[in-house]
Amino acid sequence: MKMLPLALLVGAWQAAASAGLLPASVLPSFWEVAASLGGMLRSGEILPHTAASFGRAGAGFALGVAGGVVLGLLMARVRAVERAIEPILLLIYPVPKPALIPLFMVWLGIGDFSKIAVIALACLVPVVIAAYNGARSVDDMLIWSARARGTAQGRLLWRVVLPSALPQIAAGVRTAIAVAIIVLVSSEFISAETGLGYLIFSYGGVGADDAMLAVVIYLAVLGYALDRAYLAGLRRLMSWHAFAH
Amino acid sequence: MRLLIRLGPVALIVLAWELVARVGWVNPNVFPPVTDIVARWLTVFLDGRIYAPLWETLWRALAGLAAAIAVGVPLGLLMGRTRWAEWFFAPLFSFGFPLPKIALIPLYVHWFGLFSLSKVMLIFTDCLFPIVLFTYHGARGLSPVYLWSAQSRGTGRLRMFWRVVLPLSLASIYDGIQVAVVVAVLVAVVSEMVSGGGGLGELMIRAYRFGDVRTAFAALVTISLIGYFLYRIAQWLRGILLHWHVTEA
Amino acid sequence: MAAAAYLEMRGVAMRFGDGAQAVSALDSIDLSIAEHEFVTIVGPSGCGKSTLLYLVGGFLRPTAGGVYLRGRGIDKPGPDRGIVFQRYSLFPWLTVRKNIGYGLEEKGVARVERDRIVGEYVRLVHLEGFEDRYPRELSGGMQQRVALAQTLACQPDILLMDEPFGALDAQTRRILQDEVRRIWRRDTKTVLFVTHDVEEAVALGTRIVVMSARPGRIKEVVTRGFDVADGEEFEANPAFAALKLHIWRSVKEEVKAARG
Repeated sequence: MKMLPLALLVGAWQAAASAGLLPASVLPSFWEVAASLGGMLRSGEILPHTAASFGRAGAGFALGVAGGVVLGLLMARVRAVERAIEPILLLIYPVPKPALIPLFMVWLGIGDFSKIAVIALACLVPVVIAAYNGARSVDDMLIWSARARGTAQGRLLWRVVLPSALPQIAAGVRTAIAVAIIVLVSSEFISAETGLGYLIFSYGGVGADDAMLAVVIYLAVLGYALDRAYLAGLRRLMSWHAFAH
Repeated sequence: MRLLIRLGPVALIVLAWELVARVGWVNPNVFPPVTDIVARWLTVFLDGRIYAPLWETLWRALAGLAAAIAVGVPLGLLMGRTRWAEWFFAPLFSFGFPLPKIALIPLYVHWFGLFSLSKVMLIFTDCLFPIVLFTYHGARGLSPVYLWSAQSRGTGRLRMFWRVVLPLSLASIYDGIQVAVVVAVLVAVVSEMVSGGGGLGELMIRAYRFGDVRTAFAALVTISLIGYFLYRIAQWLRGILLHWHVTEA
Repeated sequence: MAAAAYLEMRGVAMRFGDGAQAVSALDSIDLSIAEHEFVTIVGPSGCGKSTLLYLVGGFLRPTAGGVYLRGRGIDKPGPDRGIVFQRYSLFPWLTVRKNIGYGLEEKGVARVERDRIVGEYVRLVHLEGFEDRYPRELSGGMQQRVALAQTLACQPDILLMDEPFGALDAQTRRILQDEVRRIWRRDTKTVLFVTHDVEEAVALGTRIVVMSARPGRIKEVVTRGFDVADGEEFEANPAFAALKLHIWRSVKEEVKAARG
């Protein structure tokens, strides 16, 4: 039901193309794009590119999230870490992360390492902030409650602070998923021989609009599916928390 | 003094960076000392080389942002207050929001050319999503009591948008604009890096191709400063426009 | 009080902040509490009565003086002093079962034994059938029952209660008051119960401590000369009414003083 407006939009697109209102040089019809995507899936051509993109985005995302959670929690609980990291974070925060791609290419080469590093950094920032804010807003009473029930000081981070901060961390991680895809595509546009971004860019360059749009839609569907799967997973894992949506 | 302590860690990193680069453990053309970068940054400002690309990037970002506000705010308000608009647009925008719009760069280049128009259009497209969604949520969530009280004082249906719905949604609209400001600078730079056509993004890529890391850094610093100042200006405007706003507990 | 001091506060003072902005929350508090006593602390809001409880809990350290349990100074929280807060005692990410078993898990009690003990406490607070619910799925009254069970399951010697029923409606509060009294009689714990509700203070405490407006001092300690039975309609008891009136007047003076 919610997909009906989208279906209407796609229908209008196809109708305009069939009626000749939309020249193929401006936008190929939906069927052409769908057929092109079908062909790529059947021939398996798109799969190695999907794998390459997933590898880069996944590695960067995993590094960024893991580092972000640890740093954020430590910042909230250890004064020295907060002092050390906060100004650095303030410095990195306003940098549009894809703008780091050229520099990282100088340092780490034009291969996967530079892409993974920029993706990791881009994912790190929202997660650090979410974990930091989440851990800082843990109610004192909750910590006292755990202390009075025998939790040692050193275990508080694991037993109380992390779980209380989870809802906010989860929101930060969701941002990180979107950010990872944006930086991934940017970096593959700028320099790559594989990956979905590369595929879009090279099809666009040779004027194969149907194939280019096919990959754009494929990427959009994958991104959407990832986001949905993540939300569904969260609802299962964190049923104790009342999510807004 | 307090500021010094706060900036201590950054100073330490900068110092270490400078030392590592100066001592020659790394190739200074790959990892230039901080002082070199600062010097280059000052040079490009003083000799005026940075102004043309700076202006290109800035006006593209602002034009796209302005267009997105002009279209997005009325659309979001409409979605928040009328059933059919909500039914049609809300799913489209929430579907599209997390998707990477920059994947459309080749399509937009095909449609609107290599230069400013395609970039402004892409910035507009990308900024539209946060502005529409935040405006929509603001307009939808406002308490009906305000509307009833305006109705009982004789405010008509159309004037209601201007007199009641817009001011009450302003805080939420502003949250959307602040997200969009960040997006605008990012998309401007990425599209310039990918498809050229002038601007700081292209300057960075060209500097990279020529192995001129110092200039690439100078461009990066400038980009970050644009993003930072636009964000701060937006925050400052918020304080002026929304001084009456109290956050409801 | 002839009994040897079990829990003792000697010259306790507590200040928050420093310099000109320092606020004195508590001043020269001396109080001895015997084992198995049920002491209620009542006073105007802001008088530091909760702070007093947090000092016994070991969450805060007094600026001056000391708090002693069996003659030993309290310097950190521990499972020998269980606490129930008005809110936030429960861990929202744990089910009722896991919340109640939390302290046992921290102590390293094996799963089977833990489940057995948890079952016992679930029955004690009448929460059978809700073991797998999360706190947000329970009413405020039920949440406080879980918090009580969670605290009791740690087998504390002292039960600290910080306005535990302050956020509940009057009927639920009355029922839970009876339960706390019943549990106190059954387990003969020592209870320290902070409240701003004079009736609650009289209905529960065998001794009632009235505190003054800030900085909190002990204004008056009244020993309740009669027993209140579980489920008793104490409104009909003239002795109860007289004591309640006495305490109320004492507290009212302080409320007025606090308003200056």
